[in-house]
Amino acid sequence: METLSALLQGFSVALQPTSLFWAFVGVVLGTIVGILPGIGPALTVALLLPVTFQLDPVYAFIIFAGIYYGAMYGGSTTSILMNTPGESGSMITAIDGHAMARQGRASAALATAAIGSFVAGTIGTMGLTFVAPVMVEFALTFGPAEYFAVIVLGFTTISAVLGNTPLRGLVSLFFGLALGLVGIDLQTGQARYTLGIPQLLDGIDVVVVVVGLFAVGETLYVAATQHEEGTIAKVKGWTWMSRSDWRRSWKPWLRGAVIGFPIGGLPVGGAEIPTFLSYWLEKRLSKNPEEFGKGAIEGVAGPEAANNASTAGVLVPLLTLGLPTSATAAIMLAAFQEYNLQPGPLLFASNPELVWGLIASLFVGNFMLLALNLPLAPLWARLLEIPQPLLYGGILVFSTLGTYSLNNSAFDVGLMFLIGIAGFFMRRWDIPVAPAIIAMILGPMAEQQLRRALAISQGDATVFFRHPLSATLIALAGLVVMVPPVLRWIRRPRQR
Amino acid sequence: MAGVVVALGVFLLLGISDIPLGAGYDRIGPRFFPYAVAAGLILLGGMLGISTFRVKNTTPKASELSTPSAPLNWVSLGYLTLALLLSLALLNRAGFVVACSAQFWLAARAFHSKRPVRDAIVAVVLSTVVYFAFSHLLGLTLPAGILERIL
Repeated sequence: METLSALLQGFSVALQPTSLFWAFVGVVLGTIVGILPGIGPALTVALLLPVTFQLDPVYAFIIFAGIYYGAMYGGSTTSILMNTPGESGSMITAIDGHAMARQGRASAALATAAIGSFVAGTIGTMGLTFVAPVMVEFALTFGPAEYFAVIVLGFTTISAVLGNTPLRGLVSLFFGLALGLVGIDLQTGQARYTLGIPQLLDGIDVVVVVVGLFAVGETLYVAATQHEEGTIAKVKGWTWMSRSDWRRSWKPWLRGAVIGFPIGGLPVGGAEIPTFLSYWLEKRLSKNPEEFGKGAIEGVAGPEAANNASTAGVLVPLLTLGLPTSATAAIMLAAFQEYNLQPGPLLFASNPELVWGLIASLFVGNFMLLALNLPLAPLWARLLEIPQPLLYGGILVFSTLGTYSLNNSAFDVGLMFLIGIAGFFMRRWDIPVAPAIIAMILGPMAEQQLRRALAISQGDATVFFRHPLSATLIALAGLVVMVPPVLRWIRRPRQR
Repeated sequence: MAGVVVALGVFLLLGISDIPLGAGYDRIGPRFFPYAVAAGLILLGGMLGISTFRVKNTTPKASELSTPSAPLNWVSLGYLTLALLLSLALLNRAGFVVACSAQFWLAARAFHSKRPVRDAIVAVVLSTVVYFAFSHLLGLTLPAGILERIL
């Protein structure tokens, strides 16, 4: 009941005209960046930071959450119509979605994606509403040792899951940790790796890194490898989903939501894993698995539901523990810090109107997105007609703008370009960029908690193993690292 | 790739001696984490190196290192590098509008645009609109540069 009254209070914030306006701005922007290839929600939130700082934090986070949700809706449009995902969470949608589009069933695919996103997004947000207060109770028992253990667990799962091999994920993770070292040590005030450059004393801003890796790195990579231009499937008229489409879609929507929400909340980073799992499951459960790959509507309905539910899941650890599990969440955490807000159990007590207003606005945003995407999909698809040279030229200009206006410093812009070149090589060598961004934010947190825990225990390192909770978490982290190689080692002789 | 990772680790290791030791009560000071990160990078670089070596000596299709070897388009990369360097040099000297127009136009070249005039028009219009929207409406400070008197 307490939760419901808190949620009602949240709706009283979210339904104010100003909140509705910013939520609308957020979901429209989110849909646009979701549709456009080359721009994602993490990059958009990063670029908007200088502008949104002039707003009340509640409105800023309503915009950010709208962008995050909206990008998941928009991403499917590009996947279905162009066969290139607009968003990494929509990668798997392209397989059957584009096949459907080639058979002239693009609007049915777009409809099942939009409705599935709405159903799962709403279920996910409900999950967030009821799980978050429980997590808060749990998080209140955390001390520095537990926080350090949670972050270590996050590091291991993120690097193990993102990227093709754990080794590459770890390389990215340590690159991020190295970037996080630059600047003044929070504990002692000593400068580290500033190379005598005063601008580096405050550390490298996460926006600089995100824009560099995502925007500049991506632009360089696309230009250097130049795919052939994708072709847009024409959406002919508006044919509603047939009765059999509905019958085949509703179960995958629900299953996608059930898969997406908990996995989004786990520190495995983002929306890719649940979409893959959902696709695999739908193929397994289907009576005609041979249709998959040739335009099975379940292959669109399930993953599109899963990616939206996972977005709600990501917000659980972000809001209750201050632990980001995706690149977008990492940027949102940085935004909280700029407002001098510390996400975590105390935020629910100190800023209930912010937290619950944000959660309530997610429900509202989901409705807006359904209304925007269902009838207007063909209109949004026109965005894909922007010629590639203009699109990437625009991405660079906005990257320069966003980075410069952080501190009014051309130094940041130069640093951003340098990191962009690093990002190009990461793309080329198949090293995922998301772990670097998450590690850059979590690294300094981990260091602080580690040193705090050791200060409290007077240097006794066994503290992490004597607290049952932190011991369990550390053991889990060990399992994540150990199990896959061991399994591979066991399986290897049998295959030969 | 392995070399770059090891080099970054060695760089961090060499930089540690520049970090003054704090005089606090800390059991582990400001040097501990850098040591850990540097060690991790060197170790990972070594492992990458070994896996590359192994892959080369066993099957060419093994998963650990399948470097995509699509030929790079050096002309496009050159245009983009020029776009970045030029806009950086122009930003504070000639102002946001000039720098970003140049950047946009050069980036369009990198993506094989065949309509230089259209690109130039879009570049100037976009940069100017963005400049006005963000500096006059949204209150950011952007360098006006040589167009200061006009804008």
